[in-house]
Order: sequence, then C-alpha cells, then structure tokens
Amino acid sequence: MQFIVEDAESHLNIKVTESRIDAAIATLFKDKLREIVVKNRKSVHLDMGSVDFMDSSGLGAMIAVRKSLPENLALVLLALTPNVERVFRLTRMDSVFDIQPLTAQKEPRE
Amino acid sequence: MTPTERSDPGIGNRAATLTQPMFHRVLNAHPLTVRDTLQDVRHRFRGEVSDDTLGRLELVLAEVMNNVAEHAPLGQAAPGPGPLPVIHLCIVRHNSGLACALTDDGVSLPDDCLLPRSLPDMVADDLPEGGFGWFLIQDLTQALCYYREESRNYLAFSIPFAQLEAS
Repeated sequence: MQFIVEDAESHLNIKVTESRIDAAIATLFKDKLREIVVKNRKSVHLDMGSVDFMDSSGLGAMIAVRKSLPENLALVLLALTPNVERVFRLTRMDSVFDIQPLTAQKEPRE
Repeated sequence: MTPTERSDPGIGNRAATLTQPMFHRVLNAHPLTVRDTLQDVRHRFRGEVSDDTLGRLELVLAEVMNNVAEHAPLGQAAPGPGPLPVIHLCIVRHNSGLACALTDDGVSLPDDCLLPRSLPDMVADDLPEGGFGWFLIQDLTQALCYYREESRNYLAFSIPFAQLEAS
C-alpha cells in the first residue's frame, strides 16, 4: 500500500494510489494512513481520484482516520469518483468530511 | 474455482431473442476472492447496463459477500479459522434491473439485518465506524428477501435501473 505524501507547509497533500478501498485492505489502509496523519499534525488534503471503488469497510477506515485528527484540523477529500461519492452521500458522511473537486484546490488559497 | 459464466445458453433464434446476460459463480467467502469476483461481474455487465447501475450492483454485492466472509464460523476442531463458507452468486439482467440471488453456508443472518434500518447515530466527537453495510444494502435494493434452509442462507434482491435506462 502506497501513499504519495507531499508537505505543503500549511497542510499535507496525500494521494491515495490504491484503486479499491474494500474489506480486503481497509484495516491496513486505516493503519497506514492514520500513522501518517498522526505523525504530522497538520490538516490533510486527500486526493482520492485514483480510487474507483469503496465499500462500507473503506468508509469506516476513512472515518477512523478523520477521528485520529483533532477537530480543528481539516480532512479535505478531493476528486471523489462517482462510486466513492455515492457511499459518502448515502450514509450522510458527506456532511462530516470536507469534499471538494480537485480543480478548485489547485487555486491558491488566501 | 471454475468460472461458470454462461452467456449463450441456447441455439436457434427463439432462444437468442430471450437471452439476457447473466453471471454465475461459486466462490470462497474470502475478501480477495470477493474482490476478483466483483471485477469479473463488472467486466461481464459493462456495456450492458449503465455505469451508475454497475456501481450500485458492485457496492451491494461487496457488502453482502464481505459480510459472509467477515462472519465466517471459526473452526470447531482446531483453533483459528475453519473452512471458508462457499457463496453461490447468480445475476441476471431483466427489463427493469438486475436480479441477484446469493446463497452461502455461513452462519445464519441475524434478524435485525433485514428489519428496516436507519443510519447509525452520528455523534460529532464519536462518529460510528461501522453499521453502514446493511443500510446500504437496503437502500440500494428492491424486493430484498431472505430465508435459511438447513445450513444455507438464501438472499435475493433486485438492483433497479436508473429511470432513463429501463428498456
């Protein structure tokens, strides 16, 4: 399992390279990602553009990672594909995460 | 495990006009085998149904089959996992959606899985990390029914097409 991590001073950019976050890898995904975000203590921008499938165990892993960050640090989810967006929407977890398209993020933020 | 897809069951014109794409497989209830099977299902129905329907089908099947894998009974004689439950999966395209039937020889399904579900409570500082699976299954399926006979579970449901897609 690989994450591409880039420190952008104000926050951490992390790209998920797995194409599926499912029951086969959810626990490993959660443990690895939590380790990265806990160590850095910064807001996280997670690029999910390569993930084309996520099930409820993957959602549980994402929630666990969100909970491992203090509330004042954001976990922004970028570039959700339709299948992944559906899981967040149907479970109302789209209200818990900050979900944004990838292009908007490329703009400099004031 | 031998794939047993059948796409051309009949010869002659009459059979051909009645043929609908289908998928049938017998598999061990293991997350990696489930993953491979889902990718084959996707391949089988790609081009036959919309991406949206395919996405809903894949999510429901993942939830159902991974539940079987997750709740596999422990071995009786030796400690550690026993033999994996075996799942039979069958999907047929109908005019209004995809009809799915699954059977398995895993543990019996708790009654409350099939009772109308709501989402787990959302408590801001202690968000639930599970309990979404059966909610998603109920939300995305129609005509969901279940029974257990001897040592097997039988689950059947339909994944409806999006409105514009029905033919």
